[in-house]
Amino acid sequence: MFDLFREIFQALSNNKTRTTLTGLAVAWGIFMLIVLLGMSRGVTNGFQSRMTADNSRVISVFGGFTSKPYKGYKEGRRISPEDEDIKVIERDNRSNVERVTATKSLDSAKLSTSKDYVSDEVQGDFPNRLKEGRITMVNGRFLNQPDLDQERKVIVLSTQSAETLFGKNVNPVGRRVDAMGLSWLVIGVYRHDWDKSNYVPYTTAMRLSGNDGKVSDLTVKLYNVKSEADGMAVEEDVRHSLSKVHEFSPDDDSAVHLWNRFVQYLTQMKAMGILEMAVWVIGIFTLLSGIVGVSNIMFVSVRERTHEIGIRRAIGAKPRSILVQVVAESVVITTMFGYIGIVFGMMVTGLIDQLSKGVEFLENPTVDLSIAVKVTVVLVIAGALAGLFPAMKATKVKPVEALRDE
Amino acid sequence: MTNNSNIMISLRDINKTYPGAVPLHVLKDINLEIEKGELVSIMGASGSGKSTLLNILGILDNYDTGEYILNGVLVKNLSENRAAELRNRLIGFVFQSFNLINYKNAIENVALPLFYQGVSRRKRNKMAMEQLDRMGLADRAHHLPGEMSGGQKQRVAIARAIITNPSIILADEPTGALDSKTSHDVMNTFRELNNEGMTILIVTHDPGVGEQTNRIIRISDGMIVPDKKIVSAPLAVPENESLIVPGFADSGLVIPETPRIDV
Repeated sequence: MFDLFREIFQALSNNKTRTTLTGLAVAWGIFMLIVLLGMSRGVTNGFQSRMTADNSRVISVFGGFTSKPYKGYKEGRRISPEDEDIKVIERDNRSNVERVTATKSLDSAKLSTSKDYVSDEVQGDFPNRLKEGRITMVNGRFLNQPDLDQERKVIVLSTQSAETLFGKNVNPVGRRVDAMGLSWLVIGVYRHDWDKSNYVPYTTAMRLSGNDGKVSDLTVKLYNVKSEADGMAVEEDVRHSLSKVHEFSPDDDSAVHLWNRFVQYLTQMKAMGILEMAVWVIGIFTLLSGIVGVSNIMFVSVRERTHEIGIRRAIGAKPRSILVQVVAESVVITTMFGYIGIVFGMMVTGLIDQLSKGVEFLENPTVDLSIAVKVTVVLVIAGALAGLFPAMKATKVKPVEALRDE
Repeated sequence: MTNNSNIMISLRDINKTYPGAVPLHVLKDINLEIEKGELVSIMGASGSGKSTLLNILGILDNYDTGEYILNGVLVKNLSENRAAELRNRLIGFVFQSFNLINYKNAIENVALPLFYQGVSRRKRNKMAMEQLDRMGLADRAHHLPGEMSGGQKQRVAIARAIITNPSIILADEPTGALDSKTSHDVMNTFRELNNEGMTILIVTHDPGVGEQTNRIIRISDGMIVPDKKIVSAPLAVPENESLIVPGFADSGLVIPETPRIDV
């Protein structure tokens, strides 16, 4: 093996300029492939940092208006999700629904302290909002189950509200704010990109709104769903449960609006897959022009070395050793320059990563080891293919060629 | 078929025709036996068929009918791989234009046949060095062919030919590109090898070269002219004489027998 490489490097260094120029085309192709893959990875990462298979196994239920007459009701009737629906959905869909939670928005409420006041949304919610809403606690804690069980008058403030109400660099945990005629204990402060709601226990919010049973939306947490078909089936089941309680046609899509985040996630993953595939196709076609160049040069090289091949054949080289040598030369050219392309591609994607910090939908646009391995496999295959036809031509050289004068 | 183990080369009714619009019958019923340890020259004008004969003897080309036995091995309808193997193990080639690989130094060139036998690098370089030393070229081991004289190149080529310890050396006009002094040295090298028991066959049109061999096979128009064995050792041909004779041979005439050749 080592011997073969010595042979190859001797042959290649015999024509440095030509080898280099040919190799550059390959390096360029690989460079493009790496940069494109890096960018597509960046987009995929940006998407996945918002949504993972786990936190997307959720169907949100919003109210709507019926579009079909049903059981004597006219169309256009308003349907709102209700507190009671939680138990109904959980009961009807035990095999796929882990739990159902709800939010109760108290709309714009005035929160005030002795220092200042804000008018911001106050929302009744469940403890799992912390995880599902990707909320980061800055101070204190989020809502917990006892808060809900005892309908405590506690509140979790957004950083924006906390700053206005208590000032910067003040920890408001343990202090009180006034809202809706009550005094609330601040138990925590959270940070989020765009959410500015202030959270209170769902049960407290329900009581405050007069126990009409209506909620803003329901969040159905799923489990045991793997495919798009699973997701669609659960969605239909949930709609069916609601249609019985609220008496609307089960095939009325506008009575309640279901936002199936799991199916959406799968669709987007599919789109990401297509994006990456497109990038591979574009990259490989770019690489192809380089590969054709290598193939061309190998043909020239075989032609130039007809006499040499004849000598080798005369002194005992089998056709196979000639084939192996030409193919190996081609593989060495492509992988060697391919690696130069990979290194430069990684440097450039690293640079893009540095420059794109904070750019939305582009996160860590770099390639990892698995891509480098895949690209290497592509290079070796491409090199072998590029060398194959010239090599086959080389094996056709008759040993009698050795006797011809150059 | 002969079972005589003393026979190195045996040709029986060899025919070779190059196909074409006008098929060219180059070799016509060639019969030839060469014993082990012989130093033979094949002489003939260009177009006489001697190159084709050499190609067949060297397993570089096929023949149409007949039988060629080399050192007890029937050489007929061989696969490319088997032919390559036999060439590698049984035959050492020496060419007019040396046919060294120009980007390999002397030692690498000499070691190349062993590379195709799968001999380790260390071992084949050691063996190559021994052969170069034998040729008096130890100090040229790491020189490229371009840095050597014609005579040195030809001795490197001879070292390459003998490194596999072949059954026979086939030399195609080995002195064709050399001046008379160097030619003489190269011929002496062949004679030394022959004295050590190597069978050597030299194709040439230079009677000066032919006279330094022990047997001359003349080929004319695709047929072997009945040959004679030289019994007495040939005298060294004075340089001025050998300069005259090639022109004579080039004219295509058959060289008349000289008194030195014993009937």
